[in-house]
Order: sequence, then structure tokens, then C-alpha cells
Amino acid sequence: MKYLKTPLVIFVLLVIWQTAVILFKIPEYILPTPVSALEHLFLPQPDADYNWVMHIKATLLEIVLAFAVTSVAGISIAILLAWSDAIRRASMPLFVFINSLPIIAVAPLLLLWSGYGLKTNIIIAFLISFFPVVINTGTGLASIEEELLDLVKYLHGTKLQVFMKLRIPNSLPFIFTGLKICSTMCVVGAIVGEFIASDRGLGYIIINSQYTMDSPPIYAGLMLVSLFGVALFGLVSLAERLCIPWARPAGQEL
Amino acid sequence: MSEDRTPIISIRNVKKTYKTRNTELEALGDVSFDVFPGEFVSIVGPSGCGKTTLLKILAGLLPRTSGEIVVDPANFNIEREVGFVFQKPLLLHWRKVLDNVLLPIEILKIDRRSMVDKARSLLALVGLEGFEDRYPNELSGGMQQRVSIARALIHDPKLLLMDEPFGALDAITRERLNMELLQIWEKTKKTILFVTHGINEAVFLSDRVVVLTARPSRMAASLDIKLPRPRAQTVRTHPDFGRYALEIYKDLELS
Repeated sequence: MKYLKTPLVIFVLLVIWQTAVILFKIPEYILPTPVSALEHLFLPQPDADYNWVMHIKATLLEIVLAFAVTSVAGISIAILLAWSDAIRRASMPLFVFINSLPIIAVAPLLLLWSGYGLKTNIIIAFLISFFPVVINTGTGLASIEEELLDLVKYLHGTKLQVFMKLRIPNSLPFIFTGLKICSTMCVVGAIVGEFIASDRGLGYIIINSQYTMDSPPIYAGLMLVSLFGVALFGLVSLAERLCIPWARPAGQEL
Repeated sequence: MSEDRTPIISIRNVKKTYKTRNTELEALGDVSFDVFPGEFVSIVGPSGCGKTTLLKILAGLLPRTSGEIVVDPANFNIEREVGFVFQKPLLLHWRKVLDNVLLPIEILKIDRRSMVDKARSLLALVGLEGFEDRYPNELSGGMQQRVSIARALIHDPKLLLMDEPFGALDAITRERLNMELLQIWEKTKKTILFVTHGINEAVFLSDRVVVLTARPSRMAASLDIKLPRPRAQTVRTHPDFGRYALEIYKDLELS
């Protein structure tokens, strides 16, 4: 029953949606029925017949690569910042500055620099989603109980050992929190990239269908995009449970 | 005191002054004593007299303001052959019990595989057989402190520093762990320097009790406890037990 609740809620919402559209005779270009949106995914269409498989693959690849790059880079940046006070003081304002930029507005510049396609979209996704990884990991690395450091210090261990044995394991729950936020923001980032310029991907379908006032593919695209977000978030949560079984407060899972 | 032996460590005129912006706090006035191999020495003193500070100086966790700590490097490597049991268990909550015990091995870069059996037997020694794969938060406070004792012994230190290790435990658990500590000491023949403010605890455990005065601390007395060994709870009814306790009490009050 625990695992059935969410699908049940979604199903009920879809039924309400479908009934409302039919009942109130809402025109399709404003709000299509969910059935019509799904038909566009699975059945050949007379007007705009997208190659969904190709577009899904393109978006999925962007999301997965963006998430991988952002995780590794974000955690590495945080470790570097925690390692050296000088580096942290010098570069933290820069990261805050980057994070404060409206990346959507910077995207046209990125396009000028590196053209459109996979690489640019990954960069955009990275810029949108790296900050929570850095901040959360950094908080975790800094939040070690001071007295624990004595365990390494009295045996004359090294700074590297302090990081490997204490700070990094201690920060794992924080890292996973950062990665969970990052997982959904990477999806946003990939779609933003496709919006601004691309010839493939779900973001491309959405923007293209808007030009042709063909709304069912937009809804189909949105459904898929959110599905990917939920799936990636779920995978990160699963990894969290497997990697840090010691940090599982009972009944407090997200 | 056994003058015929060479001390494992000599503490000579060690002082520690904490300096803040406009005040100086003399935590450790002037303390000198020797500890001999295999000895169980307790340091007793009022709160804030610098007992913990002294242990941390010996472990290299704090710099001393002046004075000397003399060891014979041929006999005793003070950087690697010290075990420390802290006031709190300080277990790494992400490591299972066995991996917590093996932490010093990893820090000292000793081959881990060769020490797993030893870690298991140390856990058995502290009465935690079968708890190797538990996480610390599944254990009681007393059990956690037992793990930290096993951890302090894993690298076979010659000197075991114990900083009020049972202070946070309930009285019954403390009595039990005192008994167990004596058995461990008799089996492993470690030199133990034990900080406490429990006078009876110090008499019960020790060969010698060093009494420190209130801040700035000086040595009030160094008292040899010549009670029979191995000691059991019955030693508390020994006529000398009360005399020793009373003497320490006087040293603390009247000095």
C-alpha cells in the first residue's frame, strides 16, 4: 500500500483533468486531455509526428551527463574550499556571483562561445545546479565535531587522513542532500538549454509545439520531463540509503 | 616509588598558560612526576585544575608553555605508542564497531587485514563479542566507551592515557567498567595514566595517586597505594582503603 499511494494520487488527478476538459469543453490548444497528450507519445500523428525516442534519448543523455559532471565537480570544489581557507576566501564570492546570475540570460552568451548542442546544455545545467552541491558538501565537511579531530591528531595523522577518515564520511548525508536538489535542477538546466537553441530534445519539442500551437506534445513533453526528474531523485535517494545506512532516521525519508 | 627502574615518561616542571586577548589563565602551574612501566597512576584534582590539559599535552594535542616531557626514544615512541581514551566515546557514527576499533591502525598506516583478528579479540576483552557489526548508535553509553577502550589498545600502545573515561556513566556501569579496566590492565600490562575526580575510584584502581591542587595547579601529593593485587570489590573494605582516601581528601582540602 505504501508504494501504491503516489500512483493512485496521480491517477486520480489525471482522471479529474480528463473529465474537466470534456465536461467544460476546453479547446485543445488551451488544455488537451491527458489521453490526447499520451496519444501523441505512442501513436503516429498526422500534423507533427515527432521522433520521440530520439528526443527522449537526447534529453536523458544531457540530464545524466549534467548530473554526473555537476556531482563530481561540485563535490570537488567543496573539498577544495574546505581544504584551504585562502582558496575559500578568494573564490567563494565568485561562486555566489555565478549562482546569482540568471543563467537563462547568460545562456545566449554560452551559445556564442560553444555553439548549441550537448556540451552547451551540460554547461547550462551545471551552472544552474552546482551551487547546492557545493554549499551542502561544504557544510558537511565543516560540521565535524572538533573533538573527533583529536583522534587523528594524537596519532600524528595527516590533513589528508582528517579528510578521508573524518570530514568526507561525516559529510555524506549533506552531500546526498545536495545531490537530491541537484538532480531536479539538472533536469531544469537541460530543458533550458534545449529551449534556447537546439535541434533535439524534449525542450525542443515543447518550444517547437508552442510555435505551431500544438499543445498535446507540450503536455506529453512536460510529463516526461517531470518523470525524469522524479526518477533521478529516486535513484539518488536509493543510492543514499545504500551508501549511508547509518544515517537513516526512522520515518524521516524524503 | 620504584627508583631502580627507568620511567617510561618524566613530566618535569610542565606549565600551561592559556592566553586570551587581555587575560592569562594559568591552567597548569608546575607539575613534575615520573611514570614507570606497567604502573597504574591516577591524577586527581578539583575541576579546572588542568588534569585534562596535562593529558592533552602528553598526547601532543596541546603545546606546553614551559617544562619538559622526557622519554627514552629507544624504548617509547611517544608519537605512535600512546593510546587515548577521551571523556566522550568519540566513535565515528558511520563506522561499524569493528571499523571504529581499527581507526588507529589506518592512521598509523599499519596493514589493516593483519589486525582484524586482534580487533575482534580486543572487543571480546572489553566484553563486546558479537557486536562487531553494530553501529555505535545501537550501543549504550557504557558499551560505546568500551569500544573506545578497545580502539585505544589496538595499536598496542605502551602508555594509555585515560581522561575521566567513566565520568559520564551511571555509578553502576562505572563500577563494572573499573573492574574490567583492572582486568584489562593486568592482562595487557600497559602503563596507564588515569585522570579522574573520583577519589575512591583513584584509590581502587591505582598503584599511585598524584593529587593536584586547584588552579594554578601544583602537585599536592604523590601517594603510593599499597593495597593488595589483584583487586576485587572487597578491597574497599580493607582498613587502608579509607586511610588513603582520607589522605587524598586532606591533600585536596588543606593544601
